[in-house]
Amino acid sequence: MATDLRISNISKIYPGCIANDNVSLKFKSGKIYALLGENGAGKSTLVKILSGVISPDNGEVFLNEKNLKLNSPLDAKKNKIGMVFQHFNLFETLSVFENLSIDATEDNKSLRVRINEIFKKYNFSIDLDVPVLNLSAGQKQKVEIIRCLLRSPKVLIMDEPTSVLTEQETEELFISLKKFCDEGILIIYITHKLKEVLSLCDEVAVMRKGKVVSVSQTQNEKVETLANKMVGQKLAKIKKKINISKNKDEIFKVKHLNFYSDDPFETNLVNLNFSVKKGECLGIAGISGNGQNELFQILSGEIITPDTSIIFRNKEIAKLNPKQRREYLMAFSPEDRISQAAVPELKIYENVALNNFKSSNFFEKGLVNEKKIKEHSKKILSDFSVNTDNVELKSQFLSGGNLQKLILGRELITAPELLICYNPTWGLDVGAINYIHETLIKINDQEKSTILISTDTEELLKLSDRIAVIYKGKLSKIMPSEEVTPEKLGLLMGGGSID
Amino acid sequence: MTLDISFIGILIGSIMASSVPLILAASGELITERSGVLNLGVEGMMIIGAISGFALMVITDNLFIAIVGSMLSGVIISLIFGFLTQSLLTNHVATGLALTIFGIGLSAMLGKNFVGIPGKEFPILFSSLRESIPFFGPILFGHSIVLYFAFALPFLTNYFLKKTKLGLVVRAVGDSPVSASNQGINVIIVRYCCILYGGAMCGLAGAYLSLIYTPQWIENMTAGRGWIALALVVFATWSPIKVLIGALIFGGITILQLHMQAIGFRIPVQFLSALPYLMTIIVLVVISRDSRKIKLNTPTSLGRIFYKEK
Repeated sequence: MATDLRISNISKIYPGCIANDNVSLKFKSGKIYALLGENGAGKSTLVKILSGVISPDNGEVFLNEKNLKLNSPLDAKKNKIGMVFQHFNLFETLSVFENLSIDATEDNKSLRVRINEIFKKYNFSIDLDVPVLNLSAGQKQKVEIIRCLLRSPKVLIMDEPTSVLTEQETEELFISLKKFCDEGILIIYITHKLKEVLSLCDEVAVMRKGKVVSVSQTQNEKVETLANKMVGQKLAKIKKKINISKNKDEIFKVKHLNFYSDDPFETNLVNLNFSVKKGECLGIAGISGNGQNELFQILSGEIITPDTSIIFRNKEIAKLNPKQRREYLMAFSPEDRISQAAVPELKIYENVALNNFKSSNFFEKGLVNEKKIKEHSKKILSDFSVNTDNVELKSQFLSGGNLQKLILGRELITAPELLICYNPTWGLDVGAINYIHETLIKINDQEKSTILISTDTEELLKLSDRIAVIYKGKLSKIMPSEEVTPEKLGLLMGGGSID
Repeated sequence: MTLDISFIGILIGSIMASSVPLILAASGELITERSGVLNLGVEGMMIIGAISGFALMVITDNLFIAIVGSMLSGVIISLIFGFLTQSLLTNHVATGLALTIFGIGLSAMLGKNFVGIPGKEFPILFSSLRESIPFFGPILFGHSIVLYFAFALPFLTNYFLKKTKLGLVVRAVGDSPVSASNQGINVIIVRYCCILYGGAMCGLAGAYLSLIYTPQWIENMTAGRGWIALALVVFATWSPIKVLIGALIFGGITILQLHMQAIGFRIPVQFLSALPYLMTIIVLVVISRDSRKIKLNTPTSLGRIFYKEK
């Protein structure tokens, strides 16, 4: 039976922002629809409305011409609308089976039978009795999908499903989604990745600032046309010229980096050795959860490991804490902007002061030199085009992109010799990503070095001079980036080997 | 020789009796915490249970009404906590502390007229078997029904959490209230139920003290047992069976050190008095070393305020 989903004049207003402004869209089963837009364009609000998590201020949703009242997630489920959220809605400490059985109406035995049927049909295989926290991101997503399939959905909504997947996992996902589509499930695919839209979807709706700005057939679109619709302006293309710097000095050298932990949430690191040359960007690729967190914390000095040697500018720094390392002109930009890099409740200038130096004179005789910090902060805000000049603003009111600019600005204004950043563009929109990428390239142009730990292969290929892959705490051999292709990276990131 | 053995039997029986309030309160609090709610009001709820149980016994002369009433009073006072933390989104820690202070004050006020009134004898089961079987008699028989219930409770709690659908829902809510809410589970109602259940068990624990263990009303008679129960839950890493073990060790060493003091060991009394606390923590830390299990048992959202998106 064909499914027909219609959204009519949906509006949702939050204080200070119109998340959805009179959105109307039509979907029919047998096709895969893309909902494309930057962060903050209103995609997530729209799908939250469709899945009953929030209710709209105005507007209606029709499924097969029946007006749906979606007041809770339960209503969406009853009406056979399935939803796979970007941040998984799984219970990490419960087993896979418990996660699947929590909203099932049948007994455990017949549920197992049905799950196994789904496994067979779509070629899935996951151990049902391990806790979810032991699964890879790709497996977790499959659990989410299976949870939807168990309810034989008419509509399946995928919210940015590939942000945590490898190339191979993405391909597998696309094959499954096409199968679901052939079986008559209506698929709505939310993303900000343009290439995915072109390779997977039949129709694409572009959202910008809460409004639908275009609906078109994907075959009539190209990456550039979609990007321009999404951003609303023409984007400059960035391309880095590779530094072939064989003869340059090694500025940073890591030997025998080992890390062992009892914590099931942490990954052990096994004998990592690498070095970074002056003016070079070393990329470290990998799917999240393969030891990047631990590696970043060891490089920044948050974790001190015994028997590791870290030489920076000819000095042994392996035993120094982050502050001492900063004094030697290292700088760090952690992955989690909100909880690691900045304190959201503090004002902008207070966050700037957190990164203090002997030379910065932010504090005198134990007192805060507010004037000096504020001057310094103003300079960062203007140099790094953060869209505010109010240093008294609480950091939590900055968007992700602006907060990241502020953090990078704070780190870079001291002219460090080495910047280590971890997923610097995670969750940012195209405009902000472009700006961050330009900044990182500029650092290398000034003969300063960077280590870029990232889960985004495209970003790594764009910015790195050499690339290594981290998988289950082990580092692959380091390759010049001109020899690396996305396929090769994907293979290594999934645990494969190339020779 | 037979005398020694029967003495040990009586000793074990009295250790079991002394650990009952800890088992009851800790098992109740365990369910509350497993749903992600940290209620530090255990001591307050226990003392309210103690006075209302005793007062009802004096007024109605009916032990059944007294027991049920003490549980109801625990429910009512935990309802205050539930309303504040779940509906008005107040901080769990501050609200729980306030509840304890409130409970202690209120019980002292209500209890003024009940000081010095003798309690009523609570019926014990199988008292003939207690006398006739040496050693095992005093261990297994001749206890109140509340004791048998208390010793079954950790196993029931374990079964509930691990095997039943509702237990799964409670654990899911404690793991991730946002995910649970997105799955259509009403997080607020689940947490309310767990808080009220915890209140009922704390009320019962209090009534055990004032009606059975030392049948009388003394101001502040819970004497910190609520705090011990709270600590037990954490050190037992939210496992009901380990709560039982911890409560027995605590009760056991409390009784033993009293005997040691009486015999006149040359160990400072202060150290002996501190021994139960010390040993319970050491033993529970040692048996709960597995960091993987701790991660799996710890309610991830414990003490965090949950509010639903609108």
